[in-house]
Amino acid sequence: MELGKVMQQVKERDAAPAEKGEGLGGQKELEEMVLKAGLCTGCGACVNICPYQASYRDKTVTLHSCDLTRGRCYDFCPRTPADLGALQRKLYDESDITPELGAMRGFFITRATDTAIRRQSQHGGTVTALITLALREGLIDAAVLAGEGEGLLPQAVTVSDPETAGRLGKSRFVVSPTVAEFNRAIRTECRQIGVVATPCQALALAKMRTQSVTATEGGIEKLQLVIGLFCGWALSWRDLSTVLKEKMDLASITGMDIPPSRYHTLEVYTRGETIRISLDEINLCVRESCHSCGDMTAEFSDLSVGSARLPEGWETARQWNQVIVRTERGLDLLELARRRGILEFKEVPGGNLEKLKAASLNKKRVAATRPSVGNGSGDSYRQAG
Amino acid sequence: MSIDNEHKEGAEVLFMGNEAIARGALEAGVRVAAGYPGTPSSEIIETLSRSAKEGSLYVEWSTNEKVAMEVAAAASFAGLRSMCVMKQNGVNVASDFLLHLTGSGTRGGMILVTCDDPGALSSVNEGESRHFARLMEIPLLEPADFQEAKEMTRWAFTLSEEIRNIVMVRSVTRMSHASGNVVLGPLPPAGGTAEFLCDGPISDPEQGPIISAPVAEKHRLQQDKVRKAVSLFEKSLFNTYTGPKKPELLVITSSACRLYTREAVSMLAAEDRVGILKLGTTWPIPPALVKRYLTATEKILIVEEVLPFLEDQVKILAAEQVRETGIKTFFGKNDGTLPTTGELNPDLVAEAIGRILGIEPKTIPAAYGEKLRMLAGLIPRREQTFCPGCPHRASYWAIREALQRDGRGGFVCGDIGCYAMACLFPAAGFYTCKTLHAMGSGIGLASGFGKLGSFGLEQPVIAVCGDSTFYHAAIPALINAIHQDANVIFIALDNSGTAMTGFQSHPGIDINAMGNASPMVDIAALCKAMGAPVVVEDPFALKETRETLNSLMEGGGGLKVLILKQSCALSPEKKGKKRYLMQVDELLCKGDACGCNRLCTRIFRCPGLLWDRNKGKAQIDEVICAGCGVCAGICPAEAIRCEEAPVS
Ligand SMILES: Cc1cc2nc3c(=O)[nH]c(=O)nc-3n(C[C@H](O)[C@H](O)[C@H](O)COP(=O)(O)OP(=O)(O)OC[C@H]3O[C@@H](n4cnc5c(N)ncnc54)[C@H](O)[C@@H]3O)c2cc1C
Ligand code: SF4
Ligand code: SF4
Repeated sequence: MELGKVMQQVKERDAAPAEKGEGLGGQKELEEMVLKAGLCTGCGACVNICPYQASYRDKTVTLHSCDLTRGRCYDFCPRTPADLGALQRKLYDESDITPELGAMRGFFITRATDTAIRRQSQHGGTVTALITLALREGLIDAAVLAGEGEGLLPQAVTVSDPETAGRLGKSRFVVSPTVAEFNRAIRTECRQIGVVATPCQALALAKMRTQSVTATEGGIEKLQLVIGLFCGWALSWRDLSTVLKEKMDLASITGMDIPPSRYHTLEVYTRGETIRISLDEINLCVRESCHSCGDMTAEFSDLSVGSARLPEGWETARQWNQVIVRTERGLDLLELARRRGILEFKEVPGGNLEKLKAASLNKKRVAATRPSVGNGSGDSYRQAG
Repeated sequence: MSIDNEHKEGAEVLFMGNEAIARGALEAGVRVAAGYPGTPSSEIIETLSRSAKEGSLYVEWSTNEKVAMEVAAAASFAGLRSMCVMKQNGVNVASDFLLHLTGSGTRGGMILVTCDDPGALSSVNEGESRHFARLMEIPLLEPADFQEAKEMTRWAFTLSEEIRNIVMVRSVTRMSHASGNVVLGPLPPAGGTAEFLCDGPISDPEQGPIISAPVAEKHRLQQDKVRKAVSLFEKSLFNTYTGPKKPELLVITSSACRLYTREAVSMLAAEDRVGILKLGTTWPIPPALVKRYLTATEKILIVEEVLPFLEDQVKILAAEQVRETGIKTFFGKNDGTLPTTGELNPDLVAEAIGRILGIEPKTIPAAYGEKLRMLAGLIPRREQTFCPGCPHRASYWAIREALQRDGRGGFVCGDIGCYAMACLFPAAGFYTCKTLHAMGSGIGLASGFGKLGSFGLEQPVIAVCGDSTFYHAAIPALINAIHQDANVIFIALDNSGTAMTGFQSHPGIDINAMGNASPMVDIAALCKAMGAPVVVEDPFALKETRETLNSLMEGGGGLKVLILKQSCALSPEKKGKKRYLMQVDELLCKGDACGCNRLCTRIFRCPGLLWDRNKGKAQIDEVICAGCGVCAGICPAEAIRCEEAPVS
């Protein structure tokens, strides 16, 4: 399928605000269109704004029914109908917007210079280095991150201390209720908040930003920085636990990663060894909602970070990140990191951006074939690059 | 009120039907009375317990109806007069023993009193106990007024001794719970010695062992006894007739329906056209008597509640006697003249009689109807809910939230008790219970559901059960679930009393029906001894309870027990005492806005919480609030505050 056609499809799926119900729902609609339809990302945007929704494990649940016909839950949810193009134009410089990767001011290969940070990070430690820098420099006074919780579950936390933030690196492939934690954090003392977000979480935050102040009860202006993570999919906690439990002691797991697609594996690092599990098995654990997600690069962030692809091969590439800068704020932070010597930069190999665009487009293409109602799996999903 | 000392022979006193039954038993010299609480029967044992005395009357609330009947039967076997008391479905529980008891026969006069609940005013069924008389082949008596309730109960003991078998006395809600004047008879002197004579041969009804075998022989004997009862019934003064010699319509009725019929006939001013044959001995009906009245009329209407029981008997009789009585037209249940469900009332009966006789029933005057409607409008609307401060509201809140969080579609199997309301009413338990059947069936069903994992059932399975129900019928099912390794969380809602029926004692309480100290059986210890892991929580601690439940739903199979312990808000030690003084901080209360949408008054719905429409804020109704403090834990804005109440 060529680009124009895919974009048209994506547009058709995500646009058409009025007749598809943009801003026209409450919890009932949220339940019908998102939760029951298997489209919930678990981001938690609808949680901690009322007593009716809660995050539990990697799921968002309805505790009791609310009979309001309009609700913030519906407005904020990244899966309810919204005109994403309009949202993009509202939040980004129109001239920066690319059809494949969203707004883009620059594309970089970076990593943390601090090897201690790198050791505790997923890839090059760019995310952790930037967050600790932002905290240290007072650009933000709180960061909402996904630390390690119990038994494969991430734990969304708000931290103010750069040291603590430095210890919360690494990717957790089960969804974290990060936006729920953000909703809690805006009601606390902190004034400037940074969030590390998957694409769906970044979209929820963007939807919040474009609501009127009264609708959000104020506080959204505290959102000062969104660092997006590239994301191919997230895994269902229960399914993943079941698969891994058979193969290892869950307590011994120290991390996980997905090498480039030709390896077709999920690597699980345990204290003793690295266990490789075929993606055939892992694909069955992918959250239903991720199949309908067309955003691979967190297009609604200030800057987005993913794993790098380098001609030197995976062993080297895994020590680096690819970074898409989308906003002024994002660019300032990256430049500050360069000046302070927090990040080191590597020349972007030729063809990388094109490959990334192709991967991103592929996710959009697959998602576009899905109705906005989940209808079971079947396709297999490649990680970026 | 005690019904023995204050009231002397010959006095006329106002008695509730159940008190009249109790008085009848006392006048008969009953020595042992056992029962299990259940509306509308409970006041009989309660009343008797106030007259209980060492050596003259022993009264107990038994663990269940079958045990109650066994306890009473033992007294009969030892030569004492005894009775067992239960509501309609209790007879189902006792019926296994009853079948064998009726085969073996009794010695001291023994009666079974059952109180049925047509229309299920306080039951989850309108099962009928009358049919047990036919099924078990024992005489059945049904009082139609309060004096009769007393006399009939007294005579039932005599009849039982005459035929050496148990006799059934059946009441209904409108008889048990209504009141009327009763003239008292003498009370016999206390005393009587118990001895079980059992060394004689099996065939000796006086001194042999008491068993139902040899079956053929004993069964034949039992049927002889029934025939003897019928011959007494033919002359019984409990069967009465009022009306013309040759009525246009003969109504055959019994029990409370006699009153409805009388009123209906007078409403229609049809006294000279309708005859009422009221039967007090309703199984077997006395054939000669009934035949006499059948012969005198052409049309017969049988007025009884729920199923055709008299109607069937009368029609069989008429078929057998058709040569002598001639062909008749019958009206009743089978032809749809009267409904086969629910209670009857004078209007329904009047309509039926009016249709048969072609009389237009008098409608109520318009002004009167208008007044009625106006008065009805003045009655405040009350929804079915748990009391303020009820531990069940808190328990279900935690259970519901735990289930919703878990998100696998888990459900609760309900059981019998106040907590059963969670099946029916949103304000009581948030529709958490999804099944409701007999006592103890919650855990029985759960035990079954808990084994369906291999067929793909992934939903967590929870059974709830009150403390009294636990002892009554849950234990065998619980043992089954443990032994079969069923994946079930069994929640005992322990509110320390048989709260629903009025705080009768049960094995978990250290006082018995007679007010004496008695050993208690601890639920937690019992469950542990059966090998189940047991956790105890206070349901008022919502978050802890919820978290415990969620962790129980996770990891490993098998049966797990959670005891939610908190006394009933109406329990004697709590009633009228507030633990906290509650207040709503209006500045914090979110009101209608998205962010709360009146969670407290719309969902939680404790009657102690009010919604101030003008201010758009929640409020505490200080009169109603029980001061339990639970609502403070549900308000997302922390606007409901609790303050330790001063100890008075
Ligand atoms: C579910 C998921 C899927 C991903 N899929 C891809 C992919 O397909 N292609 C690709 O190139 N990159 C993917 N990534 C991103 C990648 O794994 C790295 O996070 C990214 O390269 C940044 O590396 P880093 O060393 O800078 O991160 P680190 O310095 O280790 O920092 C990681 C940050 O991510 C946060 N975090 C961890 N888990 C979560 C979570 N579940 N939700 C929200 N925040 C979280 C942590 O709090 C931390 O701040 C994915 C990440 C996640 C969480
Ligand atoms: S996707 Fe996020 S906002 Fe939407 S229902 Fe799920 S948790 Fe709530
Ligand atoms: S694939 Fe999309 S929906 Fe799934 S976790 Fe990633 S960003 Fe969220």
